[in-house]
Amino acid sequence: MTFHLFRLECLRMLRDPRYLALGVVAPIGFYLLFATIFGGSPTQPGELKGTVEIMVAMAAYGAIWGALSATGPRLAHERSSGWLEQLRSMPVTVRQLLVAKLAAGLAVALPALVLVCLTAVAAKDVRLAAWQWAALVPAMWLGTLPFALLGVVVGLLVGPEAAFPLSYGVYMAASALGGLWVPPARLSAPLQDVAHTLPTYRLADLGWRVAAGHAPTWADVVVLAAWSAGFAALAVLAQGRRPGRARTGAASAATAG
Amino acid sequence: MEKAIALDGATKRFGELTAVDGLSLEIGRGATVALLGANGAGKTTTVAMLMGLLEPDAGRVTVAGRAPRQAVVEGRIAAMLQDSGLMPGVTAAELVGLGRRMYPAPLPVEEALELAGLRDQARRRVDRMSGGQVQRLKFALVAVAGADTMLLDEPTRALDVQGRREFWSAMRNCAAAGRTIVFATHYLDEVEENAERVVVLARGRVVADGPPARIREAGGRAVVRFRLPAGQALPTLPGEVAREHGWATVRSATPDEVVRRLVASGVDWSDLRVSPPSLDDSFLALTGSPTTTGTAPQTTPGTAAPVPTPTTAPEEAQVR
Repeated sequence: MTFHLFRLECLRMLRDPRYLALGVVAPIGFYLLFATIFGGSPTQPGELKGTVEIMVAMAAYGAIWGALSATGPRLAHERSSGWLEQLRSMPVTVRQLLVAKLAAGLAVALPALVLVCLTAVAAKDVRLAAWQWAALVPAMWLGTLPFALLGVVVGLLVGPEAAFPLSYGVYMAASALGGLWVPPARLSAPLQDVAHTLPTYRLADLGWRVAAGHAPTWADVVVLAAWSAGFAALAVLAQGRRPGRARTGAASAATAG
Repeated sequence: MEKAIALDGATKRFGELTAVDGLSLEIGRGATVALLGANGAGKTTTVAMLMGLLEPDAGRVTVAGRAPRQAVVEGRIAAMLQDSGLMPGVTAAELVGLGRRMYPAPLPVEEALELAGLRDQARRRVDRMSGGQVQRLKFALVAVAGADTMLLDEPTRALDVQGRREFWSAMRNCAAAGRTIVFATHYLDEVEENAERVVVLARGRVVADGPPARIREAGGRAVVRFRLPAGQALPTLPGEVAREHGWATVRSATPDEVVRRLVASGVDWSDLRVSPPSLDDSFLALTGSPTTTGTAPQTTPGTAAPVPTPTTAPEEAQVR
């Protein structure tokens, strides 16, 4: 059951032009743009090539939006549209629904991740060892988990009008501060300190480390896990605070006949 | 054999408002029953209790002899709730296919769509459907459950005449297949045409229960109408007489007697017509006039009984 809910969630994302534009085409386009402008600058020993550094940043940028947009704005909309109400009258639990949503968020994060990497290989001649690809894609994919969880929190707490702009605003701010737009090394020291606490930076850092031939740092893993745990706890709280059975039932009785 | 639905003294309160007040009702298998009542009569709260979405504060509710939620999970009962919505971005067949996966003994997707009259819209996207099609798709989601009992809460609200006709035709297919159908409505014509039994609710209680014809007679009066030239005197007739634009209208519990006296009187009447009691009249008589109950259809929300907040008095919060 959860699987079929998940399958439909994915299907409708792939049919959504807004997702395709912002979550797939935009990161590929930005990659080509930035890699062409900044990718050729000479690198110090030990630094990543621009085309690789930007590939990781844009892969993260696209994957984050996939995870966030499949959960937050959609869940908020479904709370008001009556789809959740419809599901409540069917043999499906809220937990199954949320698991399907989270899984769909992760699933639709993957296309941007893979396609930006493929674009980098095809158009910018990026070459990594096989083990690096095999580590980079799954690591960054798992790293989108906190964003899918954040989306669930937004979806449970925010109304349908505000959910999209809020999600998008948080996404853009966290992407900029996390060094996805400007290499973090060029940020000022205080901003770097901020960046190091953000899941956006840590997600990209997973990729940068692997691309440089190293293992991701524990800090990356710990920061991403901490954000995930925090958002998961918030989601559980929000779910408890949200109209459970009684109150939604009463709300539906409000439109009683 | 266990009843499809049984409520025994079921009571549900929201704060100070008692939405359902000691409701006792049994519905046998295969029946088609209308729950008729004004806004706030307790129909939706009753439906919510039957689906296990609300727990009664007192009394007992069973569906097919089970606790309601258990019956939902086993696919014994399925409901079309008011104000439910559907998942956009998927096709009708995909959505009904999802429903199919939830139940232990579902109908094939094609059959559910066929029952709902949506066979030709199977590949249409939910968000591109008309209001009538969406409503029938919700019905297909109920049908696919393969449940013995279907609950439909105001299924034709917001549908136009054509949409309503299509909807009821779909529903009658299911009734013909021997399913128990319980629908809540405040459209009286739907009751006459589609129900074999009517349960009239007011203020959370059953105020009348029987076949539509009997309900119609319970509180209603027949209408006798005829042309009568202005100035003509009328004999004394057993009923309430009104004269307007050359027509006389007599509302009477004994229309035969009205006609007999009219014939005997020698008055120059013409175009006589006698109509049976209207269900509307009976309904108003049974549920009480708006000035005394505050819940009849004409009542505006502002004149309803004073209640603290919409959340504690959900039924009164309705604005339509």
